Amino acid sequence: MRIKSWIAGLATGLALSVATTAQAEWAPKGPLTLEIGFGAGGSTDTIGRIVAKVMKEQTGWNVIAENKPGGGGIAMFTGIANRPADGQTIGLGVNMPILVNLVTRPGEMAFNLDSFDYLGTAGRAQLAMIARADAPFDDVAGLVEYAKANNAPIAFDAKPQELAMRKVMQAAGVEFQFLSTKGGAENVQLILGGQAIAGFEAGEHLPFLEAGQLKMIASMNNERHNYAPDTPTLVEQGYPIYVDPVFFFATAKGTPEDARAALTKALADALASEEVATVVLNSLKSPILNMGPDGTEAMLRDGLENVGQLFK
Amino acid sequence: MLDTATILAGLGDAFQPVTLLYVLAGVIMGQFVGAVPGIGPVMATAIAIPFTFGMDPLAGIGFLVGINKGGLVGGAIPAVLINTPGTPDAAATALDGYPMAQQGKPLKATKMALYSSVTGDTFSDIVLITVSAPLAILALRMGPVEVLGLMLLAFAVIASLMGASIARGLAAAALGLLAAMVGTDPEHATPRLIFGNFEVYDGLPLAAVAIGMLAISELLARLARTRSAQAATIDIPRDQLPEDRRVSFAEYWACRFTVLRGAVIGTLIGALPGIGSTAAAFMSYASAKQVSPDRASFGRGNIHGIAAAESANSAVMGANMIPMLTLGIPGSVSAALIVSAFMIHGVQPGPFLFEQQGRLIYGLFGAMILANIMNLLVGQVGMRLWVRVITAPESFVLTSALLLCFVGVSLAAGGLFGIGVMLAFAVLGFVMTAFGFSVVVFIIAFFLGPRFEISLSQTLALLNGDPLCLLDYPFGLAMILAAPVLAVWLARRRA
Repeated sequence: MRIKSWIAGLATGLALSVATTAQAEWAPKGPLTLEIGFGAGGSTDTIGRIVAKVMKEQTGWNVIAENKPGGGGIAMFTGIANRPADGQTIGLGVNMPILVNLVTRPGEMAFNLDSFDYLGTAGRAQLAMIARADAPFDDVAGLVEYAKANNAPIAFDAKPQELAMRKVMQAAGVEFQFLSTKGGAENVQLILGGQAIAGFEAGEHLPFLEAGQLKMIASMNNERHNYAPDTPTLVEQGYPIYVDPVFFFATAKGTPEDARAALTKALADALASEEVATVVLNSLKSPILNMGPDGTEAMLRDGLENVGQLFK
Repeated sequence: MLDTATILAGLGDAFQPVTLLYVLAGVIMGQFVGAVPGIGPVMATAIAIPFTFGMDPLAGIGFLVGINKGGLVGGAIPAVLINTPGTPDAAATALDGYPMAQQGKPLKATKMALYSSVTGDTFSDIVLITVSAPLAILALRMGPVEVLGLMLLAFAVIASLMGASIARGLAAAALGLLAAMVGTDPEHATPRLIFGNFEVYDGLPLAAVAIGMLAISELLARLARTRSAQAATIDIPRDQLPEDRRVSFAEYWACRFTVLRGAVIGTLIGALPGIGSTAAAFMSYASAKQVSPDRASFGRGNIHGIAAAESANSAVMGANMIPMLTLGIPGSVSAALIVSAFMIHGVQPGPFLFEQQGRLIYGLFGAMILANIMNLLVGQVGMRLWVRVITAPESFVLTSALLLCFVGVSLAAGGLFGIGVMLAFAVLGFVMTAFGFSVVVFIIAFFLGPRFEISLSQTLALLNGDPLCLLDYPFGLAMILAAPVLAVWLARRRA
């Protein structure tokens, strides 16, 4: 019985491997490197490592996840854009820092949106404007009213957040002070400590909302958040600005058709797995959303226009 | 408040054989990577996180905690034995540890480091377990102005105590801040001082700078001085008395106030996000030296110096978890890595953590205490092993350490570019030491630089252009004013 099932298993395995070889003709020569545009321990890192792990299990390729931090992904994508398009290396980054740099300093960038072949996305971050639960306002109009009579320090950890608030400031004719921080956790710290009156956070604020320590003032995305359908977006509150941070995968422009197809499929399969879905849900608070190669490119090109407006 | 049953169940989980085994594995791995120059516990934790995906949450997190705690003990080993701290945390330990090792008592020095490290760590763990909530509220009250004041105070203390003179101490601090400015500025995110190198967009790689200045420059200088290929790195007399190989309880007890002071300093600094263990170790070392009746013996193998540095830098670890567990705000890079491990296991840090995951948290507390005990046991064996290694010929030990530094930095700081940075800073470190500028002051300023700049910019934003607004922050203002006074007073006492 044992030997029989062993032989059966072997036969199935052989059949499967033959089938896989027949299906995916292209395979990386040597290890496939997945470069992560941020340091170890953040949400991008988490996504990159789990995707690399599942992709390795599913394809049998030797997939290596490597951190290439610098400039919010600029350093990593500069490398990708300038390496041979052989499909051996793919990059994982976040669209917002790339777009902001392309808009503000196009001349200094060693790449543009045409430098890449896009493979897909992992999902979007839901960015919220938050304040302490006992703050004397519940929406952006209230915050503006508050800022007319008081100092109103706003904690932000990424340029697009500040620029959005500067737009609000101009439109409403009030003044905010801007506290630049290293991340969402520090924003929450400054808000809870009373040093900032409002700030931004992309997921980690949820337990604080439940605990009644923080409240949500607005969704900074173009859509309301899945966990807070009653909180309107900044656009709905009368300021036509939004941010839309998306995690995306890309490789060098001009990668051969078959390599691109194989990579796109391998990535899509990994993203469709339950293991990746669970981990991404934990770290992003939103479901996996793979826009596919064309969708990713369209998302970036539309985003470039949106960011261009923020900086006008 | 949690019921006793949950607490006991949690603590019981920590004693499950699987958890015990993973904590032990973590401690062994941590002590090893801590002792090998160039890798360090933070990087080891980052590498280990994917391996915890498949584990039970408590086993996985216990494993990571073990690596962190083991790394703190391990970091002291190369600092004491070859004067090359693998991580800057241990730089203060080298000040007295290395002279003691050179006197032929390497085992005594490493054991004292081990005992004070475990004591400091246990102290801060107990504080974490019992009174974390009030401390967390205190930490929240520390806004940008107060953090800025505290950093100025730390700079004043460290710059006036290290190096040949206070002027040179301040110059080294300024240079460190300058190096910290490489990258993008926190206010407008524009690149500065990068000279076309995209690799330094996020700043000069910390590991490359620290290892270049602290380890490589020392290793190269020592290799240059090596006369015989056969001489042992450290000569331990054959007829050594047993008391030179161990730390007696009386010796340990004589250091109790030094250790306690270090533990308190480390716990307080650790509870505040962003200051870190290196500054804590030096503040503790400086204060131990100030109150000692025999100040001249510091830097020449005084056992109090080791006790002060190690108790403080290890106490930071437990206290770093205070803002993380109570508020969901990680106090350091290692704590941030543990947060990401929590999240991968579906545990969201934040105000509900104790209510929703009480059992897991008390399991974690149990694992932390266990890790301390294991640190002690593994250290007893490990220290003997490392001391045995160090009796090998100098030409072998130093070149091996050099190779490990290259490998570690190449892994941690982006390949050949990182190695280039490391070598450049090794040269700078060599020159600075030759002219009496403290490399350690440089490194601390470099490490605290980004946080210092952010606190400064946040403070300026809060003041909104009106210096009188500082009066709204009496505690911060007091610390800002105290910094120059303290610097002058310390410099005079030294003269």
